[in-house]
Amino acid sequence: MQDFLELAVGAAASGCIYGLIALAYLLVLRPTGIINFAVGEWAMLAAFGGFLTLTRYEWPYPVGMAVVLLFLFVVGWATERVAVRPLVEKGAPILAPILALLGMLVVFRESISVSFPPDPMPVPYAFGIGRLEWGLLGGTYQSFFIIAVTLAVFIGVWYFFERTVAGKVFQAVAIHRRAAALMGINLSRVTALSFGAGGVAAGLGGLLVAPNVSAHYLMGVPLAIQGFSALVIGGVGRVEGALLGGMVLAFAEQLTVRYAPIPSGYAQGVPLLFLMIFLLVRPSGLLKAKA
Amino acid sequence: MKRFIAVLGAVLLAGAVQAQETIKIGVITDRVGVSKPYAEPATEGMMFGANEINKKGGVLGRKIELLIEDDQSKPDVSAALARKLIDQGAVFILSVSLSPATQQQQTVTMEAKTPQMTPMNSADYLTTQLNNPYFWQTGPLGSTQIQTLLAHAKAKNLKRVALITDNSDLGQAIGKAFKGSIEKAGIQVVADEVVPLGATTATPQMQKIRGATPDAMFVAGVVTATNVLIFKSYRELGLKFPIHASYNLSVPIYETAAKGLVDGITFVDAYDPDKPEVKAFEAAYRKETGKEPVNLNGYGYDGIHLVAEAIKKAGSTDKEKVRAAMQSLTYAGVMGAKGMKYTFPEGKRTGFDPNGMVVRVYQGDKQGRVVHVGLK
Repeated sequence: MQDFLELAVGAAASGCIYGLIALAYLLVLRPTGIINFAVGEWAMLAAFGGFLTLTRYEWPYPVGMAVVLLFLFVVGWATERVAVRPLVEKGAPILAPILALLGMLVVFRESISVSFPPDPMPVPYAFGIGRLEWGLLGGTYQSFFIIAVTLAVFIGVWYFFERTVAGKVFQAVAIHRRAAALMGINLSRVTALSFGAGGVAAGLGGLLVAPNVSAHYLMGVPLAIQGFSALVIGGVGRVEGALLGGMVLAFAEQLTVRYAPIPSGYAQGVPLLFLMIFLLVRPSGLLKAKA
Repeated sequence: MKRFIAVLGAVLLAGAVQAQETIKIGVITDRVGVSKPYAEPATEGMMFGANEINKKGGVLGRKIELLIEDDQSKPDVSAALARKLIDQGAVFILSVSLSPATQQQQTVTMEAKTPQMTPMNSADYLTTQLNNPYFWQTGPLGSTQIQTLLAHAKAKNLKRVALITDNSDLGQAIGKAFKGSIEKAGIQVVADEVVPLGATTATPQMQKIRGATPDAMFVAGVVTATNVLIFKSYRELGLKFPIHASYNLSVPIYETAAKGLVDGITFVDAYDPDKPEVKAFEAAYRKETGKEPVNLNGYGYDGIHLVAEAIKKAGSTDKEKVRAAMQSLTYAGVMGAKGMKYTFPEGKRTGFDPNGMVVRVYQGDKQGRVVHVGLK
């Protein structure tokens, strides 16, 4: 039992990371209809930002974190200005910006690849290496930190969309771009902001996972795939879906590795199996959008 | 007019001498893909070595020119690059990218009868699957690594061990070699785990290993980030059994990337910091580049020196003569235990002496002393 609870804390932390990456997809996808596979590279940029600010220059954690997230907002915003807006303005089909963003993925990765040594770079834990025992629950400080920060972010995002006028503006654009534009909503500002917010969500995921996986130029694509799977499982209709999808994916992954009586090489296939089943049986994901 | 022709003649002649001057050596490396952490330092060592040889007057009175290409560890790209290098006049190709890429290049070098060597790749199949008389491998074989590690572990009377690796091509290949050798030695593998690349935790795998209560754990993984993840889970779960690790642990980045995690881990290496050749190499490297030398530099350094020796011995750049010279070469380099020499006796094309590997131990965060040498 203790074994399971120990695993549960770690799996929940991984699920939160997947959830944040899924959220980064979702924030861009809903108002624009664009699937942005560069979210994994945004996370990587944040991990390297963490390496620079926290490891190399040894800034206090909150300062480093704020600077990195601000930087990622700018990166997200700039990505939209450079790679997406010119295409949208020229009336290109929706596939064009998706491909342009795949191109940006390569640009981000190669910029890091040529600017840093090829080795994994260490990024510190927010509260150092250590274990917290809380009744039966036990896990690293970082696991609990990841869970707390992610929950706060999701509550914040949920509140923004459900309870504020600005959030309703985003919702309106998500429901019908043209109609929203006719209502006087500034589409390009909403799009730019959603890319910026996507950058922050992905960056947060990258910064939180970096102490475990190290900042590495190849870390982006696996995160992008995990986040995308989480998004498909949870459903794109609602913000909570991203977190739920992340949790389901992480628990499926880790419980299979730990308890399923199959070689652990095969256990990696289980999340992909999940992805396929969801795409076939329930393509809208676990949570449906409200009518 | 006469004078003009004389000058023109002199210029043309000089041009011809110039064109004849360098000996072109092709290098296929990886600057952006998965092998980059290994390939880049090896290539740096190679460039340093070529520079050193050129400063001493080159080979056969001609300077060495490296033609460096980047294959991104993609076998198909790699084969095309081998063809390109041969077309550009490379007399020898050095391969420091991924093993499957090196394998693919062989299809070209074999057909074009161009000597090729990998000074670093460790996959056992490189010299067994193709009977290519123009190919040599001087990196220590995967099977030698595990046998050396096991020879060291033997004294510890292990009965039950756990094995953990990653799902990269090489990680899987070395994992298999480890498993085969461990079982052959009569030791039971009680847990056999894989941590996929891109995983955010290795805790479920380590929990499983903890449940199997092994006497020791062998780490066959070759991806640094994944190994760091494994060591983090090991510390987090407070595990105590000893760890014996693949040569990936000989990459110096662990001293910073795995701070506080590696103390006491033993690992197999092909580098002995107390060896005289290593001391001379390290001093020269520091002086020339201003950078701290690492063991991976040594692979490339030895590689270019072996090629230079072979050409010197052949007395020409004729590919057939170079091939014959290489096959009969004996050379002591930077890599390998004290006194080890690269040789290719009886038509063998693997040049690293199976008794030439060492086992070292991490002391604090530093790669420490040699605790074991060879297979005995």
